[in-house]
Amino acid sequence: MLSWSSTEAGTPADLAAIAEGEGDGGLPFGAELVAFAEAIGGFDDDVLAAARACLTEAAGEAFMVDAAAVVANFEMMTRVADGTGAKFPPETAVFRAELDARLNIGGFTSAR
Amino acid sequence: MGTVIRDDLAQAHRQSLAHVAAPGSQLTAQRRLQIAAVARDAYLAADPSPPWVRPYGDAALDVAYRLARHAGTITQQWYEQIITEGMHPLEWVEVVGIVIATVPVVAFSRAIGAPLPGLPAPVDGPPHGREAGELAPATLNWVPVAAPADQTASVVQALSALPDEWDNLWQLAGAQYMSDAQMADPSWNRGTLSRPQMELVAGRISRIRECFF
Repeated sequence: MLSWSSTEAGTPADLAAIAEGEGDGGLPFGAELVAFAEAIGGFDDDVLAAARACLTEAAGEAFMVDAAAVVANFEMMTRVADGTGAKFPPETAVFRAELDARLNIGGFTSAR
Repeated sequence: MGTVIRDDLAQAHRQSLAHVAAPGSQLTAQRRLQIAAVARDAYLAADPSPPWVRPYGDAALDVAYRLARHAGTITQQWYEQIITEGMHPLEWVEVVGIVIATVPVVAFSRAIGAPLPGLPAPVDGPPHGREAGELAPATLNWVPVAAPADQTASVVQALSALPDEWDNLWQLAGAQYMSDAQMADPSWNRGTLSRPQMELVAGRISRIRECFF
């Protein structure tokens, strides 16, 4: 979805930001967003507070709140997928292969 | 002054916790809240048990724990083991529905630095037994789904066996992320994050949680 939506918006994204948690994905406030997501994904509240403050300072409170909402949504959707064994249909495998390799996710236990 | 939260988002989160505190298809409100509390605590635990440990010796609570904290480690073999031990597949679906009704609310509050919401008082009453009119085995999910199976994406049909859990999932998604109609327009956004910025955040947290899907 990142590649698709970035291309539609005319700002092709760098998937390294997703795969490695580094860089800005070629997007405004991208580094702050990646750091915020990284901090929510971790469990150090001090790191999270710093990342939240940094994003709010750079992009504003409403932006930070909506970023948190998107993260919350994918804390939800990942558990829907992994709790119900969600798979892609076989006919999408070819299209998925390159993206899976770029994101280095083929070895996940959740790969089905 | 506290952080300002969109009304629709705050309402969606309140509605989700109220949903948890009401009788479900298979489970009482008291049991649902017990499962929700396990999910909340597992998500926030500073020193969690490893994924292969079943800390409660209670299948529903152990599923909630693993899904809340180690979701990416759940396998079909473990699902089938739990079902073989006696959990009804629709109870599994309901546990998933409770966990995903609770975790995003807790995650959001923690993310913005707000106090964590308490769980509401339980609504008395027996389980209501509502389920899809016809269930079918799916090839795109482990769990049974509303018939006909595999006509929509696997995450869309995932909770379709229990309409109340399905409804809560998608009312949350609409407020936290976007609705189906908004998703069809790649330029749609709320005036804060652009779509590429939303997908950057979504992709990174999914990668951190090791969610292949």
